[in-house]
Amino acid sequence: MWLWTPAFAGVTVRKSPAMTRTQIILTRFALLALVLGLWQVLPSSNVINPLLLPPLGDVLSMLGTLLGQPRVHEAIATTALEVLVAFVIAVPVGATIGVIIAESPYLTAVFKPILFYVFAVPKSIFLPLFILVFGIGFPQKVAYAAFTTGFVVLMSAMAAVESVKADHILVARSYGATRGQILTRIYIPSMMPILLETIRIAMIFNFTGVMIAEMYASRTGIGHLIAGWGENFQMQQLFAGVILLATTAILFNEIIRYFEARCSTWRT
Amino acid sequence: MQHVANLNRREPQPEETAIEVSGLSHVYDGPDGGVPALQDINISVGAGRFVVIVGPSGCGKTSLLMMLAGLRQQSAGTITCYGKPIPDPDPKRVGVIFQEASLFPWLTSMENVEFPLSLRGDPKPEMRRRAEEMLTLVGLQGFGGRYPHELSGGMKQRVSIARGLVQDPPVLLMDEPFAALDEQTRMTMGHELLRIWNATRKTVVFITHSLTEAVYLADEVLVMSARPGRIVDRIPITLPRPRTYEMMATDVFGKLRDRIWQQIRQVP
Repeated sequence: MWLWTPAFAGVTVRKSPAMTRTQIILTRFALLALVLGLWQVLPSSNVINPLLLPPLGDVLSMLGTLLGQPRVHEAIATTALEVLVAFVIAVPVGATIGVIIAESPYLTAVFKPILFYVFAVPKSIFLPLFILVFGIGFPQKVAYAAFTTGFVVLMSAMAAVESVKADHILVARSYGATRGQILTRIYIPSMMPILLETIRIAMIFNFTGVMIAEMYASRTGIGHLIAGWGENFQMQQLFAGVILLATTAILFNEIIRYFEARCSTWRT
Repeated sequence: MQHVANLNRREPQPEETAIEVSGLSHVYDGPDGGVPALQDINISVGAGRFVVIVGPSGCGKTSLLMMLAGLRQQSAGTITCYGKPIPDPDPKRVGVIFQEASLFPWLTSMENVEFPLSLRGDPKPEMRRRAEEMLTLVGLQGFGGRYPHELSGGMKQRVSIARGLVQDPPVLLMDEPFAALDEQTRMTMGHELLRIWNATRKTVVFITHSLTEAVYLADEVLVMSARPGRIVDRIPITLPRPRTYEMMATDVFGKLRDRIWQQIRQVP
């Protein structure tokens, strides 16, 4: 997807746009082809030990095999459900708390520094605590992922509220807008660009949270399988898992980015 | 001017008073007690008149305008608009046009103009018809689909004026609407405003820093002192209408501008 998105990596094209744009896209394809080609050639010619890095072709055929196995289906379903539930909890809860704090000067003054301190702490150190409280099943994965994600959403929601312009609220008030109208007609559209970005970043954190929790202690899920493959030195399976996860994550990211780009026309 | 059929063209009737301010004072809550901002302001604006308020920065001009709009409450004194107080914004009586165009960047020009009507829940075809009329009145027919960032500064202010006029309020309050424009655009917009005013016969209270703009536009110029703001002079502008650019070079124009300047300068 990023291959034909000129906005990727903040590239702004100035001189002869059509020409440079084509060049950039071609260069991206060339780089991708090079990396994939090397992944195939170097291990199969024993320049890199194929036990450590199996050739791309072997990994892809392993991915095909794995995708046909019921236990992998089950793991994908479990992980997907964990990710989804954590997301559905973390985004509205984090956003609501963030908006409430940002809307009150008093709460902002009290909580903002505290939140920044806690934000700086790596959340994974709390994982043992979550295991003690929730065990190592589904609730622990969801709780931990929602905890890490909720924090990010909360911080972004505060920034989103700050992005609402006082002038716009004043204009709406002068036309007799009610509080509800100010919320739906001014706050939400003003916050939309940051909110979409937040959803995208939240999913990255959320996915990471579930993976870490699954790899740390679990009986099921993709993270659990990957951790197991790594421990048993099953590198084909391990890399197949990596490709699967990377593809899923990038796909989701790009879908949200598509909506963000549509909002960016009025983003100032 | 053929498109103003649906605006109430109010022929100015000298005996009718649009805005009456008496004994108005305002004190801001400051960290060291109250800060007096406005002192004993008395203003009477006849219906259909064009009154310009000038004064040094921070003299409370904008606060006064916010109070006339019902957006802020004064500490003492009364404001009536067509005989009734204005404790809350009342878009049916008063339209406000702000310093920066304050257009909503997520809406097109057309939707921006429709915004006040949409708050009341007017039917869509009716809103569209009114908004189109207003855009035509301000000389922007065919630009309804543009977003604010696709418009020049002058065009944005035209949209803003159209938005202020769309509910057809008898009173229009303008807070330095052309301050952010370059000199040439500013002159053109002043001229345009007079054309629109002539077509609609609104009562206008206009705030500006520009003495030339004040003399060029006004029936009467009110000069305010530095904080706490008081009205220190009321200057009737007797230049004939329609005003022309050539008038700016005349002696009468120069003397009027000088008189305002002397007033502003001698106040500490």
